[in-house]
Amino acid sequence: MSIAMTRDTQQPPTAIRLQPASGPRSWRRPRIGVHVAIAAMLFLSIIPVYLMVVVSFKNPLQYLHERWTVSFPLRILNYMAAWEQIGGYILNTFFVAIVGFAGMVVLSTISAYVFARMRFPFREHLYYAIIALLLVPWVLSFVPAYMVYTQFGMVDTYWALIVPRIVNGSIFGIFLLRAFFAGLPEEIFEAARIDGAGSFALIWHITIPMSTGILATLAVLDFIGAWNDFLWPFVAISSKSKRVISVGLYLLQADTAGVGLGPVFSGYTIASIPLAILFFALGKYYVEGLVESGLKA
Amino acid sequence: MARADLPESVFSAPAEDRRLETDSRDTITWANVRRSWLAYALLAPVVVLLLIFNYYPPLLGLSRAFFEWRPTREAAFVGLENFSHYLLHYPESGREFANVARFLVYSLFAHVGMPFVMAELIFAIRSATTKEFYRFLVVLPMLVPQIVAMLLWSHIYDPGLGPLNDFLEAVGLDILARDWLGDPTTALYAIMAVNFPWVASIGTLIFLGGLSQISSSVFDSCLLDGCSWLRRVVSMDLPLVMGQVRLLVILAMLGATQSFQIILVLTRGGPGYVTSVPGMTMYTRAFNTGQFGYASAIGLLLFILGLALIFLINKTLRPHHQ
Repeated sequence: MSIAMTRDTQQPPTAIRLQPASGPRSWRRPRIGVHVAIAAMLFLSIIPVYLMVVVSFKNPLQYLHERWTVSFPLRILNYMAAWEQIGGYILNTFFVAIVGFAGMVVLSTISAYVFARMRFPFREHLYYAIIALLLVPWVLSFVPAYMVYTQFGMVDTYWALIVPRIVNGSIFGIFLLRAFFAGLPEEIFEAARIDGAGSFALIWHITIPMSTGILATLAVLDFIGAWNDFLWPFVAISSKSKRVISVGLYLLQADTAGVGLGPVFSGYTIASIPLAILFFALGKYYVEGLVESGLKA
Repeated sequence: MARADLPESVFSAPAEDRRLETDSRDTITWANVRRSWLAYALLAPVVVLLLIFNYYPPLLGLSRAFFEWRPTREAAFVGLENFSHYLLHYPESGREFANVARFLVYSLFAHVGMPFVMAELIFAIRSATTKEFYRFLVVLPMLVPQIVAMLLWSHIYDPGLGPLNDFLEAVGLDILARDWLGDPTTALYAIMAVNFPWVASIGTLIFLGGLSQISSSVFDSCLLDGCSWLRRVVSMDLPLVMGQVRLLVILAMLGATQSFQIILVLTRGGPGYVTSVPGMTMYTRAFNTGQFGYASAIGLLLFILGLALIFLINKTLRPHHQ
């Protein structure tokens, strides 16, 4: 251990002499085999994505003869045909994702602030009563939830899509934000309170500006969730005009039997663009959001 | 149940809770409750919404599992009949639980084992930019929505013009070409092979995050002892990422027991009932035949199964630092 310390404190001559001569450093040197193994697995993982993009530019004849390579001319019109089919679904999904996130983030920020920054009887009891819902598995509530939404007359309305995004989402939102808000320095809040700031001013002018990173992660995570949500929208929405993108793509196959795969794959590609934009715009938050969504799923 | 690793991180007073040290305003007296009206008023919306939409449904499901419960009809108490019918009289339930067992074994390999191998391989790369590039390529397939990935694979398996059969014919293995999802002998394995080789997953990212947090002094001391790469991975890295392993094992097991999305999308449980799982039957009973009580009973069974598996994991897989 002390030798390792020496190395860390940057004394190159000593460090070099301490390297064992037999060179077991080999496991830190990238060997060609490691690169080949990684490349092979990544290659196989990317084939479906590659096919999706390549085939999206083909007409049926091109698909028949050159399945694996790019063929010219590119059939850009496939994308027009696809947009005609799924454009509405994409707008629906954006609508649900944005309204759902807006409601969720307002609800979560206020509640998380109250739990992190205010003192009142039963605070911990209430908090755990909310967080405990993270442990309730969806299999237990999926079927009865449908009946509850039916009772409220929400099935096959946008409410059935938006309400769970707000209410369900706020559980994890409160969990994530409370921990973060509680870590903010109390001195700033104290100073603002002395200046006469009320709770809403403290949330709006102090808490939110200091929490943009965690809010961005939450936003990305919520959007990925909305974009991927399939099973609930599939059962809760029956009219075509209110379909979200995942359900729309699933039911698209049946609708476009005659036109070949080109427009269908164009639709898949279009549906992947928002997540790609999100990733290239907010790379770090995207990966954090993905990891968090793994914990949440 | 989701976030099944929570109990420790959430319920064992994390560091920030100590900063919220209890003071007189926390003590439960009527005067304090009245003074805190603002806090309660601010929490009221979320509490009411959660009671209606998140507490009520699972409790309703728990009770209605013992009822004959159909839309538009009065629920009638039937005791354990839903459970006994599904477990004893429904001819496919044995096969469905056997499929769950197969998915459990498969998930441990595909959703824990392979991501760990991939993470270790990428972690072994020294150049930071190359590492970053590989990580980018791991994320790339994940930018495709999950439903699209499933649909793409259903096209890959297409018996007529599908790329898989096309590839097999091109390399002279025509005899292997078949209707992968329609053939009872291959359908289940075809579902499992989706996203092969299963490395472009959140698991890989989680393991990479865990590995990067191991102190370099651990590696240096290991290096000076002259241990091999494999030796280091097995006896140093693995114990140090046991927290991540446990999380992913729990997620994999819950996925294997409860999720049926991919089955619904690719085969709807067919051909026949070859690829069906209890969750699939829960879905069809509720949304095709309207037997919501019966479906709630299957949901309750799956809940208990999931709980038992988590209990088992918590007993066997312990993080290193505990």
